[in-house]
Amino acid sequence: MASEVSGEWRPPATSRATPACLSMRADGVITVTAADGGRPLATAPQVTVEVSARVGQIPRRLSFPDGGQFETADNDGVDALLAPFRRKGVVHGLERFGPRLFVFVALVVAFSFALYRYAVPVLVEVAVAVTPPIVSELMSKSVLVSLDQGVFEPSALPAERQKTLHDGFSELTSLTPRGKLKVTTTGSPAYSLNFRKGGFIGPNAFALPDGTVVLTDELVDMAGGDDELILGVLAHEIGHVDREHSLRQLYRAAGVTTLILLIGGDIGAGAQDVLVQGTAVLALSYSRSAEREADRYSVELMHKAGRDPAAIARFFEILRDRLGDKGGNDMLSTHPATPERIEETRRYAEELQATGG
Amino acid sequence: MRYEQFVFRGVTREYFGIWIVNVLLTIVTLGIYSAWAKVRRQRYFYGNTYLAGSSFEYHARPMQILVGRIIVLVLIGGYNLIINIFPIAGLIVMVGLLFAIPWFVMRGMRFSARVTSYRNVRFDFTGGYWGAFLAYIVGGMIIYMSAGILAPLASQWMWKYQLNNLRFGDRPVLCDPRVDRIYTQWWAPAILFVAGAAFLAAIVGVVGFYLFYELSDSFISDSDNDMSIFVIVALIYAGMIPFILLYVVCSLIYTAGVRNIVLNETLLDGRHLVASHISRWRYAGIWITNTLATVFTLGLARPWAAIRMARFLAAGTGLYATTSLDEFVGAAQQSGSAVGSEFMDVEGFDFGF
Repeated sequence: MASEVSGEWRPPATSRATPACLSMRADGVITVTAADGGRPLATAPQVTVEVSARVGQIPRRLSFPDGGQFETADNDGVDALLAPFRRKGVVHGLERFGPRLFVFVALVVAFSFALYRYAVPVLVEVAVAVTPPIVSELMSKSVLVSLDQGVFEPSALPAERQKTLHDGFSELTSLTPRGKLKVTTTGSPAYSLNFRKGGFIGPNAFALPDGTVVLTDELVDMAGGDDELILGVLAHEIGHVDREHSLRQLYRAAGVTTLILLIGGDIGAGAQDVLVQGTAVLALSYSRSAEREADRYSVELMHKAGRDPAAIARFFEILRDRLGDKGGNDMLSTHPATPERIEETRRYAEELQATGG
Repeated sequence: MRYEQFVFRGVTREYFGIWIVNVLLTIVTLGIYSAWAKVRRQRYFYGNTYLAGSSFEYHARPMQILVGRIIVLVLIGGYNLIINIFPIAGLIVMVGLLFAIPWFVMRGMRFSARVTSYRNVRFDFTGGYWGAFLAYIVGGMIIYMSAGILAPLASQWMWKYQLNNLRFGDRPVLCDPRVDRIYTQWWAPAILFVAGAAFLAAIVGVVGFYLFYELSDSFISDSDNDMSIFVIVALIYAGMIPFILLYVVCSLIYTAGVRNIVLNETLLDGRHLVASHISRWRYAGIWITNTLATVFTLGLARPWAAIRMARFLAAGTGLYATTSLDEFVGAAQQSGSAVGSEFMDVEGFDFGF
């Protein structure tokens, strides 16, 4: 005769409880009997009885096939009774309070860091690799259409000036892996240069993920006659396309947010919001490291094309001087024209020329 | 008439173990375990909430929740992809989402109710689509368009939708809070918010004006421009935090006040009176200190915070029972899909009985 577990018995779908005892025969048949007098209340083979998993000290419930329920606070008693037939909960064993939990805390910290530092970038690379080109094309077309409707006007640059810049641009792109293909798998050009009058966007150049590069008249004016400078800026934009920065940034933000949301249920709503905000600030630093990568790309590509690798540094100098004059500009947010960036691009250009001849 | 007090018997150290294992396994499985984690978490909180000597039970199966989560993540991912690829088409999707939310809310409430039991009798939720549309979409819009002045009306719709459609076994819940009663809880936070915002705006205006002119030169010529962007962002956040805090405090005070009013107007089975008497200020205080503690301990204080809040809410809630609570009869229900429930979960909505 196995030991007994005392608790309460509730017949199917009623809330009225009677005190009862649970016992089990050696062949695995579970019997519930009334606590006073031993009148049998329910009998079922243990395989048909659903036993709720153990979580902390909450009452265990054994649900019988007919819907009746035996409830008890005696968690150890239930485990002992069922021991010949069922394993004890592994997870509950892990959850017990003890020194081991300090190890778990350390592991959580280590894993969170590893996830953010290594797993997210890997997942981003995979996502970028499997994204069909049509996605970035649709994205880019739609952005350009809305900018054309809302901000841009047709370029007022003379045709021959456009042609000169266009030729320089083609020469640069033909040196990149993507540009060598001429057209992407969907048949659209690997790179295209577009001239626009920038409106309130002012002197600027930007790249869309499908290889569409837009150059504003204002930037061409700002450069004076220095076409190498403009090409240096275009090389920077080609770098963004080549390194697929916009897709990466998109997936990165999505990946980090998804992770926060999944673990979020156990963090609490307020803390979850703080975390999401925090990653937005981190994204800013990520976008600046992308700018720096594009700067280096510009230096390398210009060097490869046999042009002045430090040309983009002259662009930053103009920006710096202009910003100094005006005391504020939208450029600040997207392209921080820092003396550090000037210095870094110049240094890298010299290094390239010294080693690469 | 007997007063039965809700009691929460969860213990911080015990929940800490459950919580840290949940987080650890969720990370190790790249989020898959989060469904199992949710079931264990909910079972711990439901199973430790006692009324008249019996606790509640949460019956959802992890697989239901996992499937729900996957569907919701795919939907959210698809939605984000669409608004990134077609910003214009995104508008249409957004309108579509507006009409989809009530359905998710309805399904979520039904799921949550049907996987909850007390004394072996399940809850059920019978709310329909348009009730949810009125309560959450129209309600949300009138709050926004009236700058919060009509918030009590929206609160009334929302609570009536949640509680009037709730069933315990075969017995209904009745909830009929009057709007003017809800307004009694609205004045204090409304006045506090307007006064506080005016005060903060004055301070931020003066300080910001001074900082901008003093520092703008040094930002530009600063040798490390990278830092200056961080400084600007930090200043924006620093300026926003008092406003956000003020807004959070005011909404917490309002929420707690409305909870008291509404639950005190709620009847179970036409005769058992629900009672709520939580202190509005303590509720706001506990919520804010909980969040701060969680953030500053990098999440480690979360178990303590969650237990603390559950204790506080249980201690402020009860039931005036006219007869024994043994008389209820269950009406068996299939729980249905977890999709709606997971939507509310993932988006950070937090509903509960």
